[in-house]
Amino acid sequence: MFRPFSNIWENFKEYIVLVVLIIICLITLSINQKPAAKKVRSLAFGSFAAFSSVISDIFDFAGVRGENERLRKFNAELMLQVSELRKFGIENSELKQLLSLKDSSNFPLIPATIISKSLSRSQNTITLNVGKNDGLKPGMPVINDQGLVGVVSSISDDFAIVQTLKNVELKLTVKDERSGVEGIMKWNGSELVMVDIPKTYDIQPGDRIVTSQLSSIVDVPVPIGMALGLSKVETGIFNEAKIKPYADFIKAEHVFVISIVESKQKNGLELNFYNRN
Amino acid sequence: MRSEYIWSIVLFFPLLIIQTTIVPFISVNGITPDLILIMLVFYSIRNGQIYGTVLGFIYGFLFDLITGGLLGSAMLSKTIAGFIAGYFSNENKRENYFRTYTFILIVLLCSVVDLIINTLFSTIDLNTSIVLLFFEQGVLPGIYTSVLSAFIILFYPKRSIIEN
Repeated sequence: MFRPFSNIWENFKEYIVLVVLIIICLITLSINQKPAAKKVRSLAFGSFAAFSSVISDIFDFAGVRGENERLRKFNAELMLQVSELRKFGIENSELKQLLSLKDSSNFPLIPATIISKSLSRSQNTITLNVGKNDGLKPGMPVINDQGLVGVVSSISDDFAIVQTLKNVELKLTVKDERSGVEGIMKWNGSELVMVDIPKTYDIQPGDRIVTSQLSSIVDVPVPIGMALGLSKVETGIFNEAKIKPYADFIKAEHVFVISIVESKQKNGLELNFYNRN
Repeated sequence: MRSEYIWSIVLFFPLLIIQTTIVPFISVNGITPDLILIMLVFYSIRNGQIYGTVLGFIYGFLFDLITGGLLGSAMLSKTIAGFIAGYFSNENKRENYFRTYTFILIVLLCSVVDLIINTLFSTIDLNTSIVLLFFEQGVLPGIYTSVLSAFIILFYPKRSIIEN
């Protein structure tokens, strides 16, 4: 009775195994966002990151001397800038007091070290040595001295995975600081681009691109990169602008997590408003 | 056979640590070689097609789980890469593959297939040229990985050592 099946198995076993495994892969792809899958993932990378951090520390120590030199120079440059900014700061706080505005620039920063990097062309992620115990939550923006690095996507007790700007899954609302033009920024697999910008809008090469206050993920202006100009999209009414990110993801070693999260209250309010109309 | 699986899985973890901590230092313009794929091709040629397919599946699963990528994408690409590499598993030619530059070509083929499948899952942008995308994300990192796989040929033990 089982002979025909046995013959099929003998002749095509490699293909049968392949097809079965491909089906399992496709099922796994479909359950990606389920809480159980996220929980298993955070458990797995949390355990693995503990080992990675040991190796990372060794390499970190070797690079400390060179980095100290660089930081000393950077420190001197910053000192000059600080004295200038202090003057503007005093003037700014006086003006804000006059307008009774709430100072929104004091965000708590959580220092972190990158312990491993998964540098694929489309799914760039980094692992940090801070996690739930340090007050991290998914959705918190990660910056370094150059600008925005990414957004925390998964956390375990002591570690966190960050989707960098070079990850196709991360999309942010950004704006041109000079002209105020807003748009959605994403990584298209090879370049960082601001998409769906009406062709009449003004974006010039060299413009500073920062996160927009309209963003539900990062609603404080954090520098992202420099516009390289508009690329002409042949069809339609929209253009896209290429952006050169300020942060160097390959060389980055130390980052800060800004302790702010997406406002559920604000999102809920907006959602209710749109549902009513 | 079972111990073969255990060893190849145990070796995966130190290799993944190297892949995520040391390999980024030798990246060229964001292009990094894939050490895990080299090991997958090596074991697939050595132990056969079914072994390669299953091992690719396990490697992909662990990789997705640990690096926080899209769960299932590396699983699928590495399963197919292991299947292709296992196709070259022939008892008579196996040793020749490890000693000649054929191994580099097999790694190149598997790596390009692995990266292209990964790209298909993660990049859906009609404005980008597909050919350019495949070249940048498939062929270039594939070449880098295959060049690095030459170390397997250099350090693979001579026949007399294996026979002893």
